Amino acid sequence: MKRHSWMRKQQWAGYAFILPNMVGILLFFIIPALFSFGLMFTNYQFANPNVSFTGLDNLKRMFQDDQFYRAIKHTGIFLLSVPVSLVLAFLVALVLNRSVYLKGLLRGMFFLPYISSGVAVAFVWMLLFQPSHGPINEALRWIGIASPPGWFADSDTAMYAIDIVQVWFMLGYNMIIYLAALQEVSAEQMEAATIDGAGKGTITWKIVWPLVSPTTFLLLVTGLIMTMKSFAIIQAITQGGPSGSTTILSLYVYKTAFSYYEMGYASTVSWFLFAVILVITIVQWIGQKRWVHY
Amino acid sequence: MRKSKWWMASMSVVLTAGLLAGCGSNGDAKEGGASSPSGSSESSGNSGSSGSKTKLTLWGAVPAEAGPQAVIDAWNSENPDIEVEYLRYVNDDGGNLKLDTALMTGQDADLFISYSLTRLQKRVDAGVALDLSAKADYDIDAQMGPDAALWKIDGKYYGMPTKKNMSFIWLNKQMLDDAGLPVPPLDWTWDDLKAYAVKLKKDNVYGLLQHDSSYTATLDGTIAGLGDTNAEGKSNFNNELWKSHLQTLHDMMFVDKSTPEYGEQLTSKMPVDTMFLKGEAAMLSAGEFIFRNANNLAEFPHDFQIAFATVPRVTADQKDFKYPGGLGDALSVNAKSKNQDAAWKFAKWYADGGMLPMASGGRLPSSKSVSSDEAIKLLLQGVENMYDVDSLNKVVFGSFESFQLSIPQQVIDARKEEYEKYFLNKQDLDTTLANMAKRHEEFIK
Repeated sequence: MKRHSWMRKQQWAGYAFILPNMVGILLFFIIPALFSFGLMFTNYQFANPNVSFTGLDNLKRMFQDDQFYRAIKHTGIFLLSVPVSLVLAFLVALVLNRSVYLKGLLRGMFFLPYISSGVAVAFVWMLLFQPSHGPINEALRWIGIASPPGWFADSDTAMYAIDIVQVWFMLGYNMIIYLAALQEVSAEQMEAATIDGAGKGTITWKIVWPLVSPTTFLLLVTGLIMTMKSFAIIQAITQGGPSGSTTILSLYVYKTAFSYYEMGYASTVSWFLFAVILVITIVQWIGQKRWVHY
Repeated sequence: MRKSKWWMASMSVVLTAGLLAGCGSNGDAKEGGASSPSGSSESSGNSGSSGSKTKLTLWGAVPAEAGPQAVIDAWNSENPDIEVEYLRYVNDDGGNLKLDTALMTGQDADLFISYSLTRLQKRVDAGVALDLSAKADYDIDAQMGPDAALWKIDGKYYGMPTKKNMSFIWLNKQMLDDAGLPVPPLDWTWDDLKAYAVKLKKDNVYGLLQHDSSYTATLDGTIAGLGDTNAEGKSNFNNELWKSHLQTLHDMMFVDKSTPEYGEQLTSKMPVDTMFLKGEAAMLSAGEFIFRNANNLAEFPHDFQIAFATVPRVTADQKDFKYPGGLGDALSVNAKSKNQDAAWKFAKWYADGGMLPMASGGRLPSSKSVSSDEAIKLLLQGVENMYDVDSLNKVVFGSFESFQLSIPQQVIDARKEEYEKYFLNKQDLDTTLANMAKRHEEFIK
């Protein structure tokens, strides 16, 4: 009995400690989120007091909106950057996990993009990808490609160019997490495999890769969620252009809400985005049994 | 165990909610308590009998050091009872959102300047712009001239257009002289400009550069004459004049190579004004705001004279072409402000000469109460020899039939996406025009 009341007291203290944070989450996240759910069914224009309920009009509009479907396609291309970045990060981590010269320096260099400002990163890549005299295209011309791609200046390649930037941006973070996971892989297992005659490739893909699968799962889930929500790099480099070719779903929401002030419609699209993220995450959660080995 | 956890969780939510409610009511009480004394001070400020100060906030997009600070410093020393503070917002989506939020939530924004009719329209819809035509002591039509009427919304003024808007072609007179070309006549066309650009281009010197803000000047001036839609309510975007103009620009990019390719300009974020002042282009299509840099010989040194030409029309026989220009900088009083009388007093003072310190940056007052000689003197102070006087007088200080663009942002963006596809060679010209019209119609439907 006595012990019970003591526990209770402690619990209250715990709740008191998390209270400030909870208030913040409630005020700035949960309440606005619920509010935006309500906005879905209105024609609310930002700052405009004339609001009326329009039922499912916004949903109807969304499913007839060419730009919405275009944004979904672009989001899909953008998401390709996640698995590519994961595999590359794994390989880099493997190399850096062995004894190579200047390990610390290299690790720092790979991680550097992650802590740099997005806008600075954007400007660097704009210079690199400059179509007529940027270093990348100069190099391509030098090795004999007469008409290299226009990268950000071409609506067919812009989204893939953005992918490259995103892969580079995420690489360092993913690599650090993989490095930590690789420390956990026991040397005995690898030694045993070597004695059994397994080659380097076999060890890497049949033993190490499965052993770090929980890390891969974590990075995949968080990476997909983050990538779907983020558009800072795109906004800094192309603002969704040229001719809308890099407008992903989250940027489309931003434009609809803060450029056109169509809050009702923007809420609808953002709840769709939320539903997609939720479904993808659930599918991954269920699917993990097949390939994640704890 | 599970049950008790659930109970705890819901309990904590209730608790937080309770605390929140407490916070809320507490906040209200505080606000209520504070508002009564401040309210009384405001009323006394309005009556002007007591010595307490009224504080006003003016929102504008010009950097404070480029004139606004001097303007409000002058006001504050003349009017000790009404203190004005200038708050700069950046005139982009983010900046306008900030201003609209401030206006909507009743934060300190008693006066604000809108830079386009579409933005002002949104503020009128939101009910935050005071109807200034109802004021008996100031006749905007008479003071600002006939161009002011383009800023009317539903027949009323919700902002007073305080400055002359101007957009024209800046010419490097030295390069014109070297090429043996005269300053072009006022009624020149895009074909003429195209021919000029070919003759003027050299290695590392473009014939023509266009500033973002002037990129669609000819498209806009043309549609302003034609009207957005025809008699049947169909979009007028699919018109021959636009077709001809877009074709000309495309030829200049890819055939003549006298102007940068669109993708190139877009991705390298060309600083076109700096390039022109450095002598890397012979002609620049841009607004009067370039004066700010062109007059600054310390940071933008150049030794050539600058001459001016109008934005060309598409064809010589184009009848109803309207020139980009007219009036701009619409100053509004917040309809939710508690100090509307003081704000209105400031607005009149600002329009009728208070804004003069901004003339040196190219913002010439539109009110007839301001002597234009004085404004021009301020504009050209110390740089009189840097401009070709004849074309300056004819073009910059000339008067042309103008327009205010009232096409919604969604339609402007859709139009841009389509002409971008044409300039990036992803779509032919006929499809481009058809798509522009189609997307315009989808929006107005």
